[in-house]
Amino acid sequence: MYRFVFKMALNSLMQRRSRSLLVVLMISTSLWGLLFMEGIYDGMTEQLIANAIRSGSGDVVLYGKGYRREQDIKRAIANHAEILQVMAGDPRVASYSTRIMQDGLLATARGSRPARIIGVHPEMEKRHARLDEYMEQGEFDFGGQGKKAIIGARLAEKLNLKIGSKIVISAQNSVDELTSIVLRVGGMIRANNMGFDETAVLVSFARANDMLFMQGAVSQISILLHDQSDAHGVQESLLHQFSTIEAFRWDEIAPVLLQSRQMMAIFNQVTSGLVFCVAGLGIFGVVLVSVLERMREFGIMLAVGTRFRQIGLLIFYESMLLGLTGFALGAALGGSTLLYLQSHGLDLSLMSEGLNAFGLDSMVYAVIRWNYFSMALGAVLGSIILSTVIPLRILRKAKPIQAISEM
Amino acid sequence: MMNDFVRIEKISKIFTPAKGVAVAALQDIDLTIAQHDLVVLNGPSGSGKTTLLNIIGGLDEPTQGQVSLAGQRLTGMGEKEWSETRRDHIGFVFQAYNLLPVLSARENIEYIMRLQNRTSAECAARSLEVARKLGIEAVLDALPHELSGGQQQRVAVARAVASKPRLILADEPTANLDSKNGNDLMEMMQRLNEDEGVTIIFSSHDPMVINTAKRSIVLHDGRVVEG
Repeated sequence: MYRFVFKMALNSLMQRRSRSLLVVLMISTSLWGLLFMEGIYDGMTEQLIANAIRSGSGDVVLYGKGYRREQDIKRAIANHAEILQVMAGDPRVASYSTRIMQDGLLATARGSRPARIIGVHPEMEKRHARLDEYMEQGEFDFGGQGKKAIIGARLAEKLNLKIGSKIVISAQNSVDELTSIVLRVGGMIRANNMGFDETAVLVSFARANDMLFMQGAVSQISILLHDQSDAHGVQESLLHQFSTIEAFRWDEIAPVLLQSRQMMAIFNQVTSGLVFCVAGLGIFGVVLVSVLERMREFGIMLAVGTRFRQIGLLIFYESMLLGLTGFALGAALGGSTLLYLQSHGLDLSLMSEGLNAFGLDSMVYAVIRWNYFSMALGAVLGSIILSTVIPLRILRKAKPIQAISEM
Repeated sequence: MMNDFVRIEKISKIFTPAKGVAVAALQDIDLTIAQHDLVVLNGPSGSGKTTLLNIIGGLDEPTQGQVSLAGQRLTGMGEKEWSETRRDHIGFVFQAYNLLPVLSARENIEYIMRLQNRTSAECAARSLEVARKLGIEAVLDALPHELSGGQQQRVAVARAVASKPRLILADEPTANLDSKNGNDLMEMMQRLNEDEGVTIIFSSHDPMVINTAKRSIVLHDGRVVEG
């Protein structure tokens, strides 16, 4: 019986090709748009987080005890060699980098701005955060004697700096003396991390060490992991092993980024809900009309001895076939679009200024998550099932003869 | 009792097309129809023929009274019982053929047998047998819209008889047919009545149908006036 009813459902859909195609196209195009939107929005959020992590904290960041509460350069990590040795043997750790950081002032002949002086090892940073990939102008190199600095692109714009411009950076060193050095701008860097781009002045680690009198100590160790979900474990094990440090996960350092991710998840759910409400109304209308105009056919079926539940099963099969075909087509279209955009990216350079202001790249790479598909499947099936409820209620109340002659 | 195969007792049907408006389509009908009979419900339009046929077949409910089939009271049965009774014991032939448009002629003929969970082989053999009797074996794979009116009505008759019901209710079966097709159909129905012993009740005011029937019951303004 089930096979017979299924065959009837298939026959019915094939006999009404145009309407079936219309419903399938409605479902698939809604789903395609929804998947595209979800993948791109999540891609933007993940890029925002990735930029902040790469150019800032890393997945886990270590400071000297008390540094986060009072960012005093004297609260540095002196035993970093020992820590690095432990990390080198930890399979969860992908890379790490040691940095010296101190807030100071960048001055030119025309003006000055607050700046964050960051002493880095260029080769280590290339392997670790791939900061060289963020270079907008110049090269990720401080020159043979470390006489060049790399400036955050926004800071450079504000001070009208160009490659070769002469700058003076001043800061308080670890023995509470004010020190200054003169450097030339060697490059501009844009990580699309607003805080970084507006204040960063990257100098060679050796230069920063001398200028700030660090005596080989470091202010920060940034750690990237193979799997971000290991962050808590790595944090705990380092805190357990070293009492001289503080360890933070990226979401503790920048909770606003975590909030962005959660906000985007909510936004996606609300958007999905709205898209499917609109698409669902369309689907509802088409299925409703298609069932109502077949009331006579259902009346005939009732008249010759078909049970009401068998007609319900027929409508259910038809709706499911339409819904699942629409879902399969939409998922294939949306999935392949997202796969393409995951590897090739979506070029939004026309809006680059606006995107950069929010810490986003102009090339957005899509994200694909299984829950996009499972949620969409649930929504499609929900819309389809709801759209069969009303006609079935009407049919249930009707006598066969009414269904045959009046509807 | 053989003579009371269909028993209609005090059947009335009142329609209320608008609030406060009551139209009596049937009034106090008492009838019995014997098994293997070939009966026509005869009368002018609006006399209540179709309404009575629909009530006998459970397609509509009487306002009062009751119908029994082979001693089993039908009036007041639930949806499940009515569906099973119609499926297993009653065949319908409608004026407008009422074939299922998405099924081929063969599938339409097999439809009720499929509902009865008969095997594919049994359905195929029976549908072919009935189609041969009715001369429609050549069009079994056609869809209803590809058939002429006469062919559609034969398929409808084939559907009604294929599952071997005990009673066939045919509502104005010749109304949409030309005289030749109408004649052919009545001959077929007569043969089915004689060969398979099916009780047949027609509603019609077509003289050809009236002349073919063994018994004519005349209705006028919802009352039996003769028969």
